[in-house]
Amino acid sequence: MGMGKREKKSSSNSLSTSPCANLRTAYHNCFNRWYSEKFVKGQWDKEECVAEWKKYRACLSEHLDDKHLSRFLEAEGSVDSVPLSDLRNPVDGAPTGVSQ
Amino acid sequence: MVKAYTQEHIYKHPWERVTSASWRKFADPENKRTLSHILEVDTLNRKLDPESGKLYTTRALTIHAPGPWFIRKIVGQDICHCVESTVVDARSRSMQLTTRNVSLQRFIEVEEKIRYEPHPDNPTGWTVCKQETSIRIKPLSTLASMAEKVEQRCAEKFMQNSVKGREVMERICKYLEAESGGIAL
Repeated sequence: MGMGKREKKSSSNSLSTSPCANLRTAYHNCFNRWYSEKFVKGQWDKEECVAEWKKYRACLSEHLDDKHLSRFLEAEGSVDSVPLSDLRNPVDGAPTGVSQ
Repeated sequence: MVKAYTQEHIYKHPWERVTSASWRKFADPENKRTLSHILEVDTLNRKLDPESGKLYTTRALTIHAPGPWFIRKIVGQDICHCVESTVVDARSRSMQLTTRNVSLQRFIEVEEKIRYEPHPDNPTGWTVCKQETSIRIKPLSTLASMAEKVEQRCAEKFMQNSVKGREVMERICKYLEAESGGIAL
């Protein structure tokens, strides 16, 4: 398939210093395959690459210390509900909790 | 002070292939040299709606944006974080990407919207890409006089990069075309 070869190449050539680079490559390779071979062909009923995504995401939440970006990690599963105003005016710091 | 630009490009490849290429645009090691201003691309979030066939994705782009020394001095860094939100509607065959900077917002706001749709004249063979970029430099009093120049430079940089981006897209489309040709029965 040549896929393994490319994976190896990308991790050694990568400029990235991110400790998640290998997990990222694994996830993105899986995602790209799923997208072009299934999703656009009408097979969108099932989410794939779940194991790859979980590993990669766990690594990101451990290493992503930029507060601008980590806000988006916290908002898991609500991508579509991130209002535009929130993108424009990032709120610093975590929410103070919901009062009962 | 807002500058806005629109561009349109027709890819002579089907929508499925062009949008596949779009996902690979920054990640493919072959393109790292051409798009060297992109340092990192991370997927922060993803959601699939299996009912409607819509895929929502949020990615972080870390961009190297070197400017003149006085800008670096004021801004204190030449790395910019952007967040790209993408919605792909597989049913209606449309992909929309919106990219905004989340760092350096005190100085500049850039918003780029890209939309890929089947070309009306050849919906199964061609794809039309519409791109809108708006750049707003924040009018800080000390920066006001040079803001115009910065805006111009910034716009030029964006235009150069979007040309590079198109070249990369065309290359990946060709590659995907060859690949699918090889696999086809």
